[in-house]
Amino acid sequence: MLSSTGSDTGAGTRQGITFPAAREKPGADNHTFLVCRTVRSGQRFEYPGNVVVMGDVHPGGEIVASGHVIVMGTLRGVVHAGAEGDEKAVVMAFRLQPTQLRIAGYITRAPDNEAQDITGEPEIARVQDEAVVIEKYQPGGEKRWLNRTMFEEEEEQNG
Amino acid sequence: MGEVIVITSGKGGVGKTTTTANLGTGLASLGKKVVLVDTDIGLRNLDVVMGLENRIVYDLLDVVEGRCRLKQALIKDKRLENLYLLPANQTRDKTAVSRQQMVDLMAQLREEYEFVLIDCPAGIEMGFKNAIAGAEKALVVTTPEVAAVRDADRIIGLLEAAEMEAPRLIINRLRPDMVRKGDMMDIEDMLEILAIDLIGVVPEDEYIVISTNRGEPAVLDKHSRAGQAYRNIARRLTGEEVPFLNWDAGNGIMARLRRLIGLG
Ligand SMILES: Nc1ncnc2c1ncn2[C@@H]1O[C@H](COP(=O)(O)OP(=O)(O)OP(=O)(O)O)[C@@H](O)[C@H]1O
Ligand SMILES: [Mg+2]
Repeated sequence: MLSSTGSDTGAGTRQGITFPAAREKPGADNHTFLVCRTVRSGQRFEYPGNVVVMGDVHPGGEIVASGHVIVMGTLRGVVHAGAEGDEKAVVMAFRLQPTQLRIAGYITRAPDNEAQDITGEPEIARVQDEAVVIEKYQPGGEKRWLNRTMFEEEEEQNG
Repeated sequence: MGEVIVITSGKGGVGKTTTTANLGTGLASLGKKVVLVDTDIGLRNLDVVMGLENRIVYDLLDVVEGRCRLKQALIKDKRLENLYLLPANQTRDKTAVSRQQMVDLMAQLREEYEFVLIDCPAGIEMGFKNAIAGAEKALVVTTPEVAAVRDADRIIGLLEAAEMEAPRLIINRLRPDMVRKGDMMDIEDMLEILAIDLIGVVPEDEYIVISTNRGEPAVLDKHSRAGQAYRNIARRLTGEEVPFLNWDAGNGIMARLRRLIGLG
């Protein structure tokens, strides 16, 4: 269930990251995995839940999560949030400059010309009207999204 | 039925990826239907040099392991209509594919493309063996340095042992000024040591560094000297006779040495 293909390229358990035991029900839970390291080119973390990276994600690095992904640093690699189809998943980063962003089935990529408007401010990406939109992160504003997912899931489960 | 050509060198960093990107782009601008295949699994670069990194969704491993169809993994170039890239996977290593899988993949690609150019990893191990497995022709890249030429010689031997059609040589990063002063091996010296046909000589050109960083192959730039050399090689690959530029050859260290010991 939990796989890190990084184990043979320098990431993963061999370098001291211990993963929590795999659980029976992926996706539906709200477990969060903390990655305390720089995710470098060729390293990939896959997790059935949310992922928080305390560090940067370099180009060529990849995070795949069934839930949200938060990068407490600069995101320059590839992130796939809501990888099992959750369109309410979000991606947040202190500096959001991904090579490519995927949320559920939606993909967006960096513009080709270097003239990216790098704001230097935390930003949040989410799916809105069938497209990935990126906006400035408003403190407090994320609660709406993070909580809504949990809340609606509960509603769905209750019928 | 297209031609499958592997670009290889033995030694690392001599310009395989640069050559693959430029020849592919050059052939495509001649109207050929071209696909570039990055076989440097775990250390891919070709996507970056082509400026296509942000478009990668699937890669070569996804194709051979059946996670997607070949068409889904092919990335269309942003400048040229008839140019495609099959990127390498970055999270695994050279042992992730087998020779048979490469043979099958190339057979599939040559059905649809006139030129399939394979960017080979450095070394002579599994990555190299996989890269040449599905190829019928090879271009060997070397720089005018003794160590690079030595490695090229080793590679040519391995290609011959694999019963590859006679490989052709690309000399990269030549500096005519240094050759003239006798500080760098000249073309004749290298051809004499390696004893294979030359298909082109690419000069040292700082524009290569600029274009590589920008993700725009130099071959598209009219003013780049290396770009001009790559345009010529692309035309030679299509079978056209293109005269070689004059590099003031024949005055290198080796030529002088030979003269000294009375062989020249
Ligand atoms: N003709 C040239 N003039 C100047 N710089 C060059 C030239 N050819 C290649 N280079 C530079 O040499 C470096 C190595 O080139 P490249 O990546 O193409 O080599 P490679 O053989 O693919 O390396 P590897 O073995 O790591 O795959 C790059 O920085 C590139 O910009
Ligand atoms: Mg290379």
